Amino acid sequence: MEFLRHAINPWGDDVLLGVSWDLIWAAVVVGALFVVGHALMVPKKTGDETVDPDEARDLPDKVLRHTTGARAFHWSMTVAMFVLLVTSFFPLVGIQFPWVTIHWVAGFGLILTVLYHIWHVFAKQDFRTMLVGGKDVAEGVLALKKALRATDAEAPRPGKYPADQKMFHHVAGVVTVGAIVTGVLMMYRIDHVLWEQNPYLFGDAAWGVIYVIHGLCGVGLIFLVIAHVYFAVRPEKRWMTWSMINGWITRDKYLQNHDPKRWEVVDREAGTASRDAGSGG
Amino acid sequence: MAVIRDMIPPFELYQPSGVEDAVRLVGEHGDQGWVLAGGLDTFDWLKDRIKRPAAVIDLGGVAELGGISETDDGGLEIGAMARLTAVAESGDVRSRFPLLAEAAGLVATPQIRNQGTLGGNIVQDTRCWYYRSGWPCYRAGGNVCYAGTSRSMNREHCILGASRCVAVNPSDTAPALVALDAEMTVANASGERTYAARDFFIGPEIDITRMTVLEPGDLLTRVRLPAPQPGARWYFEKIRDRKSWDFSLASVASVLHVDGDVVRDARIVVNGVAPYPVRSDAAEAVARGRAPDDETGQMAGEAAVQDARALRHNDYKIALMRNLVKRSVRDAA
Amino acid sequence: MAENVIGTDIAPPDLRAKITGRARYAEDFRAEGMVFAKLLLSPMPHARVRRVDTQAAEAMEGVLGIIRASDLPGEAGPRERALTDEPKYEGEPILAVAAVDETTAAAAVEAINVDLEELPFVLDPLESLREGGDDARLDGNTVKDREVFSLKWPDAVFEEAGEDRLPMGEPTAEWAVGDVEAGFAEAAVVVEETMVHQSVTHHPMEPRSCMAYWQNGKLFLHGSTQSTQQARNAVARSMELDVEDVVLVAEYCGGGFGSKISGAPIMTVPAVMSRKIGRPVMLRITRYEESYIGRARAGFQGWAKIGFRRDGRMTALDLYLVQDSGSYGASDFGTAGVVATASYQPENMRFRAIPVYTNTPPRSAQRAPGGAQIVAMLEPLVDKAARELGLDRLEIRKINAADGDGWLGPNQGRFTSARVREALELGAELFDWDAKRQLSGQTEGTKVTGVGIGLSPFTAGSSGRDGLLVVRDDGKLYVHQGIGNLGTHSIADTARAAAKVLDLSWDQVEIVWGDTRKHLPHSTVQAGSQTTFAHTRANHAAAEALVALLQELAARELGDSPESYRVADGRVFRAGNASVGMSFAEAARRAVALGGKFSGEEYPDDLNDATKAAVQGLAGQGLVAAAKDNYPRDGAIYSWVISFCQVELDKETGEVEIVDLASSADCGTVLHSRSLTAQTNGGVIQGIGMAKSQRWVFDPRWGVPLTKRFYTARPPGILDVPRSPRFAAVDLPDPQTPVGSKGIGEPPVGAGEAAYACAVADAMGGRYLRRTPVTSDMILAEMEGRSGPYELLDTHV
Repeated sequence: MEFLRHAINPWGDDVLLGVSWDLIWAAVVVGALFVVGHALMVPKKTGDETVDPDEARDLPDKVLRHTTGARAFHWSMTVAMFVLLVTSFFPLVGIQFPWVTIHWVAGFGLILTVLYHIWHVFAKQDFRTMLVGGKDVAEGVLALKKALRATDAEAPRPGKYPADQKMFHHVAGVVTVGAIVTGVLMMYRIDHVLWEQNPYLFGDAAWGVIYVIHGLCGVGLIFLVIAHVYFAVRPEKRWMTWSMINGWITRDKYLQNHDPKRWEVVDREAGTASRDAGSGG
Repeated sequence: MAVIRDMIPPFELYQPSGVEDAVRLVGEHGDQGWVLAGGLDTFDWLKDRIKRPAAVIDLGGVAELGGISETDDGGLEIGAMARLTAVAESGDVRSRFPLLAEAAGLVATPQIRNQGTLGGNIVQDTRCWYYRSGWPCYRAGGNVCYAGTSRSMNREHCILGASRCVAVNPSDTAPALVALDAEMTVANASGERTYAARDFFIGPEIDITRMTVLEPGDLLTRVRLPAPQPGARWYFEKIRDRKSWDFSLASVASVLHVDGDVVRDARIVVNGVAPYPVRSDAAEAVARGRAPDDETGQMAGEAAVQDARALRHNDYKIALMRNLVKRSVRDAA
Repeated sequence: MAENVIGTDIAPPDLRAKITGRARYAEDFRAEGMVFAKLLLSPMPHARVRRVDTQAAEAMEGVLGIIRASDLPGEAGPRERALTDEPKYEGEPILAVAAVDETTAAAAVEAINVDLEELPFVLDPLESLREGGDDARLDGNTVKDREVFSLKWPDAVFEEAGEDRLPMGEPTAEWAVGDVEAGFAEAAVVVEETMVHQSVTHHPMEPRSCMAYWQNGKLFLHGSTQSTQQARNAVARSMELDVEDVVLVAEYCGGGFGSKISGAPIMTVPAVMSRKIGRPVMLRITRYEESYIGRARAGFQGWAKIGFRRDGRMTALDLYLVQDSGSYGASDFGTAGVVATASYQPENMRFRAIPVYTNTPPRSAQRAPGGAQIVAMLEPLVDKAARELGLDRLEIRKINAADGDGWLGPNQGRFTSARVREALELGAELFDWDAKRQLSGQTEGTKVTGVGIGLSPFTAGSSGRDGLLVVRDDGKLYVHQGIGNLGTHSIADTARAAAKVLDLSWDQVEIVWGDTRKHLPHSTVQAGSQTTFAHTRANHAAAEALVALLQELAARELGDSPESYRVADGRVFRAGNASVGMSFAEAARRAVALGGKFSGEEYPDDLNDATKAAVQGLAGQGLVAAAKDNYPRDGAIYSWVISFCQVELDKETGEVEIVDLASSADCGTVLHSRSLTAQTNGGVIQGIGMAKSQRWVFDPRWGVPLTKRFYTARPPGILDVPRSPRFAAVDLPDPQTPVGSKGIGEPPVGAGEAAYACAVADAMGGRYLRRTPVTSDMILAEMEGRSGPYELLDTHV
């Protein structure tokens, strides 16, 4: 298997065209292996399902985990992402349709959602809930060990976002931004209504790097999406998936899976979530 | 790696004598195989070492692909290997489908028409000179169009149907076949399929590396022309820089059904303006119900170029396409 | 009496072989142990070779050798050589590989990695003249007195010119006749225009393939060349060999049009390779390679301002030309200025020009170099002035035509003869100009008619070469021709001068040509339309010498004085008593017996060394006569062709159809009527191609040509002109040459090109699109009022 595609440019130079599309299948295979491996290795959570009644006092039945705005973002981005993946990879595997315009329009949809997300995070939410700290790393290591059955130690309850979720968000964020930035540049190589094309904006070598990054990000997203969907449908995580649909989680799930000290639901009277009970990625 | 041209590299040559064998060989070799009909397109690619098939499957010996025969419904069936001269000079074609005879007779030169085939003329690759230079453009599997930039030399490129690639379909017979509602029969290992001529040609937005639906393993075997409608008028014109051995800057083929002084139905197809022959529904709609005169032609022409967009050097094609459509309505006989 | 050989249609002796395919061109030869070479061409328009990795190629089975520029004789310098380490255009050969067969050689070339350092390149001369513009060569962008240097024009020059006029900064060439400003002051009408004549490649049918081998220190070379004796000199020079050590075989040439005057540069590749690997080497040049190394006509970006008096006389011509010299230079611009004087005899003229190097393939003479361009650029302007003056276009050309007292600028020499008005009248009658001009602007359906005239002079001769004749004991006359057989029939037709002097039947004449072992006399290069004039004279002189020898021989053998003998029908005999005499066969035998001046042991002292060597080689083989052309001549030798063209322009498509085409010529006495007609019509069509369809398009981003094939370059085809273009010649002798004939190869090109351009402008109501070619897209854009495809000064589009 070749990882990169090359060509000879008009001046006889060997130039990079992008990643080999064999990597699509590689990503699918790796994703499938991960899913199967994880499903076999990691047991369904059998931990203590009880809650401490002291903690439960004064808490409403439902705790808001994702605001409407956050959910709107998540699902808009999901649509954009699926459209982007379908329009890029289906034609490559032989399902042909006019994909180019849909692809870059969806790309702009993704850019809008990401811009909204960034604004929302900084203006409306506490972005610090997503920062990865030393504790997160330690807990992440512990979670990994547990997954590999290397330890029996009980993991402490996380704040609003567990370490693995944060890590996933950041990796996906970097990959998505990579795809977006290179994708916007690549629009100089095609004919569209937004601005005049200029395929000679960069030299062939720089273009090669841009195409490789876009390809790697795209292929990476295949894997990330597989993993994301897999976790979303795992039985012990479904409560979280539901929260991305209806916004809230039950008081029990809140207490079982989150440390109320690390994720405080301030306004107990109203039963609504605090300012930081916003979106996840 | 240095580039060298005009020197055919070695390949395995297969010379099947029957269609079945041919289809099998084409299927077996897939994207490593190359179908050789008249060779006019093929040898350019092979000589320039840009396409390097491991196997060439020469259809020259497949006699059953060469005939022109009448069908039960009064139409004609033309084998893909029928020589263009045979098509242009066939009494059956001339009497029933003079539009096709005219188009075939305007291809290149007499020598090329003697050698070139109808099938080859239909499926030939674009003549974009950047692509033909062996540059790694979109159509060649790369990620740039060298012809579409503001500095490119694109006088002969497209005004419609561009999608990253701005090449045009070079075939003279293709617009005629679309206007005549021809059907293409494609065979492969899993059997035969039939395509309406209009659907046979695809644009770069569907697949940027192909001009037609044919994929590796497919073989165009026959073209069927449905029985001509009595009294239909037709028009064909090819505009080119030289009167021989030249691809069209634009060409038009039309079939008009005129009742009294009113166009009842029209098929108007322009080639050389898009990556595929453009059947102009808009122009046809304008022509229907009107007299086939200069005014209708003008309106039809304007309708046909409504979505046209010029590149740096081919603005003239918009006027040319409009005028050809006008003539195809006004001067059809 | 033998038949009159002057003016009659006699098929040349090589015709049958050409038609039947028996003629052997360079590529058809084989030698024992012969191997093949392939070239590696530069992929960049300007680069320096940093490193060449040939390891993989050399390891391939069957690869025999690789040569690079450093293997060629001589030093790399400003002049073009067959291989280079600093390619100045895409397609310039960098190295050559020899292998047992071509397939292997090609695979080996592909296996070679050349590491190139990109250098700045330029395609447009004006871009190179801008401040900060790149030079096409490391040593500069222009040349004066053989000194290459860099010249930039201040920005103000470009600003002042704006978009609609040629920027005109400091030229490198300038001359004036009279006072051009005074001329304009006198003018009633002044026309001024900026125009572009683009460069076009030659595209001869036969690419310049060549095969070489060595035997006993001698180089044997089969090549494609227009000339023979002079081409051998050129090969010897480029190989740094003595002329005696070069044998050149070139009996046939599949077209040269000026691109193969010697054809020598590429011949050094198989010659050097063969010496290196010790085997005969064939280098077959492909169409693709020919499109790069096959030479091209220099383009002009030009400006002209022309003043006319009310009576139509041209009072002033002010001309400025920026020449696209390609990568190694061209001299078209100089000729262009001179030809303009021959065209119009302006009362005052100023000429300014600058040649500018570009990173495009090399230029060379192309059939009327400079002449065709300037004629095609100026003739439509003369039409424009005629319109403004209300003068008939035929009339204005007659008014300004050169005559016997005409002059050729800038040195104001005279012409040996100029019957331009006669030719104009003859052509007008042939074409029926009076009736045809009434059709101008008439519309039928979507088609509008236009008519045009193109008047085109070009140099048509030289003198001072040698003739060499041998009468052998078979009684035949052997005419040794050092000129080449480039397809014009001059190889045979110039021998007619000798047959005429000897009053000899043509079937008794044998032409000896095409192989330098055959003892060929000093000749012209087969270029500049010199041959007919120069070699009818040389053969005439040699024939007169032969007559003198025959008379002397007869007197010696049969008594009486030499003056009492006549020569005719293959005999020398006493005047008044034909029975006293001897046949040529007897004379040849007697000459061999007598020796001395009769058999070539002695010869005139004024012969060229090449001719002396040839005579020495023939000595003792018969009656040998050699002579230098010492006939007097005072003036420039020029021929004129005038073409008349009628077109129908389709307003809806921009397509132009030529419906009638007729040409006339003043080329002195007609030597061979059928060949003259073919030559003229061929040149006219070639010119029409430049005006109508032929292009040489480059991509500006990559600096490389896109029209590397016939079908993209679009030289004209025979269907692009009427079935039977008509032709007539004035057929009056040039008084300064014994046979009276002048050359004809070149002037038709400008005539056809200009007549077509004028006819198209006429059909468009006088709108002149100011460039070549004018294609249907440009015409349609103009007719429809749409933006044209190119800027005024764009080149290589």
